[in-house]
Amino acid sequence: MVVGGLREFAHRTGNGSGTPVLEESNGEELMRVQPSVAVALGNRSLESPGTLYITSRKLIWLSDVDMAKGYAVDFLSISLHAVSRDQEAYSSPCIYTQIEVEDDEDEEDEDDTESTGALDLSKIREMRLVPSDSTQLDTLFDVFCECAELNPEPIEEEEEEEEEEHNWVFSADQMVVGGGAEEDGEWPISQSPTSVIGLSIGDEGGLAQPMLELQINDQRFDDAEEMVHESETKDH
Amino acid sequence: QLFFSYFKDLVGQEVTVELKNDLAIRGTLHSVDQYLNIKLENTRVVDQDKFPHMLSVRNCFIRGSVVRYVQLPPDGVDVDLLHDAARREARGA
Repeated sequence: MVVGGLREFAHRTGNGSGTPVLEESNGEELMRVQPSVAVALGNRSLESPGTLYITSRKLIWLSDVDMAKGYAVDFLSISLHAVSRDQEAYSSPCIYTQIEVEDDEDEEDEDDTESTGALDLSKIREMRLVPSDSTQLDTLFDVFCECAELNPEPIEEEEEEEEEEHNWVFSADQMVVGGGAEEDGEWPISQSPTSVIGLSIGDEGGLAQPMLELQINDQRFDDAEEMVHESETKDH
Repeated sequence: QLFFSYFKDLVGQEVTVELKNDLAIRGTLHSVDQYLNIKLENTRVVDQDKFPHMLSVRNCFIRGSVVRYVQLPPDGVDVDLLHDAARREARGA
């Protein structure tokens, strides 16, 4: 699986519906189809009409009129996304996305609007999606969030548990046990709900740990035990 | 998981997230997940020269893997507590 930013995409099913071909072997599923979406890559003008296909792995935009034209970008490459309604920023309300690009050099004029020839899609850093129905923006934003969450950084040593319930925390109050469908044993009861520091005994990184172990020990005197061996051996 | 728990405490506070591509975004921390993906509300771009088109968006989702720093409110940080917890975590690893 090659992940590297925006790219051309033209794999459509041949049955006339023109829907994109997905990598089912990878478990890729179609999450949402949004018709009537225009796309603007970088500084380029809006391209339309087109249809946006949101899969569990990537975004695909296919032109409705040019069967050979389409773009795709993996969620792994999308650094951030947002709903943009600021008319000073862009004339139409849209989903703004930033695409992670390998930085070879600081290229200012990455997308040539003049020479339509060899546009290097892999250098595109911003992409806007403008649905003709702007009431759909918040829903699209949410679907983008869901899909981004389905695509965490792959860890080589350990498999990420993507099936695990995704734990978004919206307030410190949520820290109390019983606030969600947590498995027993993961969340020992907190005595000071406002200040909980999580600890994890395990490997490096810690992000791959599905188990969250909390220990509420405000023992600031632990060091005394550790330092004992040092104090005796020094002469001067 | 230390930072996941730590950021959960900061929800509701104003933070500035600096991405690896040098973009800095300021906003209210709305939520964070186990991958340290961050959702901000009332965001505005700190460095408008680099990404002039982004300006202000109501909320945004930032992928955890592209975050370089999260700048915290100075009174939102209990340094001693964090210090202890980090030391314990290092000891455990």
